[in-house]
Amino acid sequence: MTTSPSTTPASPRESRDAASAPSALRVAGLRFRYGPGPWIIDLAELSLAPGEQVLLTGRSGSGKSTLLQLIAGLVDPLQGSVEVDGRNVHALSGSARDLFRGQRIGMIFQTFQLLPGFTARENVMLALLFAGRAPREQRERADRLLVELGIERADAAVDELSVGQQQRVAVARAVACNPSLVLADEPTASLDCENAGIAMDLIQESCRRTGAALLCASHDPALAARFTRKVSLT
Amino acid sequence: MTELAIILKSLRSRLFLTIITVITVAVSVALMLTLLTMREAGHDAFRRGSGTTHLLVSADSSPLVSVLNGVFYANAPRNPIPWAKYEEIRSRFPWDFAIPTQLGDSYRGHPALATTRDFLEKFQPDPRGRFELASGRFFEAPFEVVLGAEAARESRLKLGATLFLTHGSGGSREGMEGEGEHAHADHEHTEFPYTVVGILEPTGTPHDRLLITDLESTWILHAHDRRHHADHSISTTTSADLLESDRLITGILLRLPTRPGSAVSAGMQQQFDQLRRDTSIVVAQPEQQIDKLFSIVGSIDRLFIAMAAVVMVGGGISILLALASSMEARRRQIAVMRVLGCSQMRIFSLVLTESALLGLLGAAVGITIGLIGCLVTAAILRQTLGLVIEPNPRLHWLVIVAAATVVLAGLAGVIPAAMAYRTPVARNLRPIG
Repeated sequence: MTTSPSTTPASPRESRDAASAPSALRVAGLRFRYGPGPWIIDLAELSLAPGEQVLLTGRSGSGKSTLLQLIAGLVDPLQGSVEVDGRNVHALSGSARDLFRGQRIGMIFQTFQLLPGFTARENVMLALLFAGRAPREQRERADRLLVELGIERADAAVDELSVGQQQRVAVARAVACNPSLVLADEPTASLDCENAGIAMDLIQESCRRTGAALLCASHDPALAARFTRKVSLT
Repeated sequence: MTELAIILKSLRSRLFLTIITVITVAVSVALMLTLLTMREAGHDAFRRGSGTTHLLVSADSSPLVSVLNGVFYANAPRNPIPWAKYEEIRSRFPWDFAIPTQLGDSYRGHPALATTRDFLEKFQPDPRGRFELASGRFFEAPFEVVLGAEAARESRLKLGATLFLTHGSGGSREGMEGEGEHAHADHEHTEFPYTVVGILEPTGTPHDRLLITDLESTWILHAHDRRHHADHSISTTTSADLLESDRLITGILLRLPTRPGSAVSAGMQQQFDQLRRDTSIVVAQPEQQIDKLFSIVGSIDRLFIAMAAVVMVGGGISILLALASSMEARRRQIAVMRVLGCSQMRIFSLVLTESALLGLLGAAVGITIGLIGCLVTAAILRQTLGLVIEPNPRLHWLVIVAAATVVLAGLAGVIPAAMAYRTPVARNLRPIG
């Protein structure tokens, strides 16, 4: 299956931002498949300007999660390249790629993927630890972010937090290292309409505040109105 | 947040399994440490026990039994030596000392050694020094007794206290009354009270268990038994009633003259060979017999060490199983950590460190248990064999056992660490799109 993106153009403001700084994300000629089957990902070109927010749509199985994993460098493409913040992710190898991902890319998952047994603060601090931040800086930054996102019980284990609070912790963790790019994989799929709206407000506002570009993969049509630019994987 | 905090969280999240694993490792470490320590302490104690004696004469069945009975007080020697034989041996050579000893009575399980003042004044229980008094004085008259440090501590007898010796290896007064023949064989000499006149400083040797008294008192005790058995109307016995057949001993401690600063005598082999020609006695060189004993038990010794090593390997395997079994549940956690920027090598080292930490915790707990085990084993040996040992674990054994445990635990962690290293990230993040 060949995936062809159809896009709506960026707004004039986003275009100006894009002109003044290197792309947060640039994908070129990206192709991927499992084994000898059809291409799951066949993406000729995709760029996100710094701070730009793009909705990645498509039906289930269209390869949205796989594309995000390719962009994050968790899976290697068969062809093409992915540049984040001007760096070719797949040219980096081993620990250099892991460190780059920790420092420049934030990820938000449908089920949050918070580490059980760790507190809200510790979940955020983990991201900062792996990005190479000193312990004192980790704590200060984590506490500040959690307060900004309305988490008062930073010492509570994440298992004790409500779903909404877990979502906030997941967002705090994703933006903790001031990433250039945040990848959100179906962030509202497990939430009702009201909470989905709150969660998206949170994610988009956090990305705006930190200046991170946002690529949000979702098959939820209700999110379309939130993004001026959409990319569809068909 | 640090790597150590992550590891501790991980261990705490599986607390029961962690505790069981640490206990398994600790038991193996404790066993190994106890064996190594007791082995060395036992060797030291055996060597130290013979003191400055060069030769031991007895009428026991073999030189080894002679040393076990005469030096370590394992049992009362069965066969006596006539006093005339002692006089003959003493006069044939200018010994540094020739000390007669008589064993057979006891007090609450502590052997009573009847001897001469030479035992307290010339014999050295430890090459480092002679007997020293903690309080009181040495015996000067019949029916005075000097207590070894251990005997004094366990019996709680003070200076001036009186006691009755029991004929035989010991038993309570209650246990002996009205038991027919047993009472006769293992009875209390109530006619002759002994008075405690001195208490010795500890020497760290089997002699600390002794009650030391003079020979004549013991001869009178047994002469009275003989006379009372023949005539029940006899109520007392004195030295005037002693016959030559009452003057019996069970051992002679001999030391040859040596040059200053030397513990070895050039004439020992010659005297040893001459004494051995007398078939009525057994002559033993204590050090030689102790070496012989070690060579007999050496293979068992090595077998125990090998078994302890196998148990240690078992401890390592328990770490491997504990970590490997937890890997399935941790795949998602590892995948998330990878997404957050944790490298494969860092994951590998986290698991390896966790494994080594389990080993370290096991070693720490094991060393503690081992030290307690050494004290318990020493107490058991003292009670059962009369072997007074000082279980001071050598620092190098502590370091070697702890290091070996950590290395073993690290090796055991390699397979789980490799499993963690190879965890596929994308597959373990729930697919959403």
